[in-house]
Amino acid sequence: MPFLILLIKASLIYGGLLVTAAVMTLAERKISARIQLRIGPNRVGPGGVLQPLADGVKFILKEEITPDGANKGIFRLAPIMAAVPAMLTVAVIPFAGETVIFGLDFGLLSLTDLDIGLLFVLAFSGLSVYGVILGGWASNSKYSLLGGLRASAQMVSYELSLIMTALTVVALSGSMDLREIVEVQNTGNPLAWNCFTPVVGQVGLVLFVIATFAETNRHPFDFAECEPELVGGFHTEYSSMKFALFFLGEYCAMTVMACLTTVLFLGGYSVPFWEDAPWMVELATFMAKTSFFLFLFIWVRWTLPRFRYDQLMNLGWKVFLPIALANLLLAGAFISLT
Amino acid sequence: MVVVQRRELTFWERMYLPEIVRGLVITFKKMFEPRVTRQYPEQAMPTTAVTRGQPRLTVKDDGNIACVSCGLCEAACPAYAITIDGKETDRFIEREPERFDIDMLRCILCGFCEEACPKEAIFMSNELELANTTREGLVYDMEQLKRSTSTLQPRIDYVRKINDRW
Repeated sequence: MPFLILLIKASLIYGGLLVTAAVMTLAERKISARIQLRIGPNRVGPGGVLQPLADGVKFILKEEITPDGANKGIFRLAPIMAAVPAMLTVAVIPFAGETVIFGLDFGLLSLTDLDIGLLFVLAFSGLSVYGVILGGWASNSKYSLLGGLRASAQMVSYELSLIMTALTVVALSGSMDLREIVEVQNTGNPLAWNCFTPVVGQVGLVLFVIATFAETNRHPFDFAECEPELVGGFHTEYSSMKFALFFLGEYCAMTVMACLTTVLFLGGYSVPFWEDAPWMVELATFMAKTSFFLFLFIWVRWTLPRFRYDQLMNLGWKVFLPIALANLLLAGAFISLT
Repeated sequence: MVVVQRRELTFWERMYLPEIVRGLVITFKKMFEPRVTRQYPEQAMPTTAVTRGQPRLTVKDDGNIACVSCGLCEAACPAYAITIDGKETDRFIEREPERFDIDMLRCILCGFCEEACPKEAIFMSNELELANTTREGLVYDMEQLKRSTSTLQPRIDYVRKINDRW
């Protein structure tokens, strides 16, 4: 029975993740259309809601091309490497507290609550860059290679600030277990959320959000793709379902990163002024908070132009890292004072 | 040598984040503005009398075609899109076309046929859409080209007005 429950939970959570990724592709196009005073996809289904399905069918029916001179094994491995880590990380995200569906006790709503949940997420999201690098290298194309190289350099410089900022939260809540981090913030008082910790929380939130943009290769940091310079960057040579996997990986990574930001800074599933809320309310709260960050991903993409590559490096090493370190120090001071 | 004077950025602007927020606010406001897209097949482009669409033949109110198959439009056509075979008729005008084909793939919508026509028989209509699955289907014959005078009336009035200037 516990195995069955785990199976149901896994299919629900992964199904939810994939559906979110699909909805995000539609939302991306719809919101970009609104921002540019266009209408966006509206032909498939009412208001275009079935567009992701049509896209999926199209991806499957497209011809798969492997370029001459490509390293075939790695060329095939790369999309998997890009998509799987992004999907794995969702396993430790706590979506709600004690859950009972139709009298069936599902326990705490997350696949697993690791003691080192945060480390797990960071480690696996760090892995996803391998997909980009390997894909760029195996394609036997100069554009892909440059895209892959940029991605690797960018990941290193931003992962540092990302981890430093995550560390401030670990210091504040005294745990690496994501559920523990949420429970510390879940006091019924929204001011207990980490983003309301004076100075440390706000600086941390801003840094963390920007770092997740870089981490997931999103605008304005999408140098791995960078259409005007590198055609399509690391996925120039990819077609059909292989390309779709990269795409899926990117959107899954975005979703997970939005979840993580919610957990670390916005109190996860904690409902304001209602400490012991039923799981459905908690889940809805979690989804509302996460969708704000997902919206932010899209919103920023259609507002800002891409950075120049050296600007990105300057920002990463000379601005973000010092601020993140100072913030960590400040967090330490804050903890010892309170 | 031109020296471009660039404005010094203020401290607030160099902080960068406030300016990003300003940009975000602008794009957020844009989301609620009316959209400018025209849904083309459903909402066609508005046309006027000046619109020079595909050529069409006028059918007079008594149901007869105005063309007398003089061949002037055929001669004027720079793209050789028009083919006319004439025949005799009992009507007062004595001649009318037996075959009047316009190859719409050749037609460049220049309007020379309209200018050449002495009988007000061919006009550039406001029809702009041209699509088919075969090339043969785009060679329009006389039946496909016939339009009543009333549908072409705005264009007829416009052409008369232009011609009155000379």
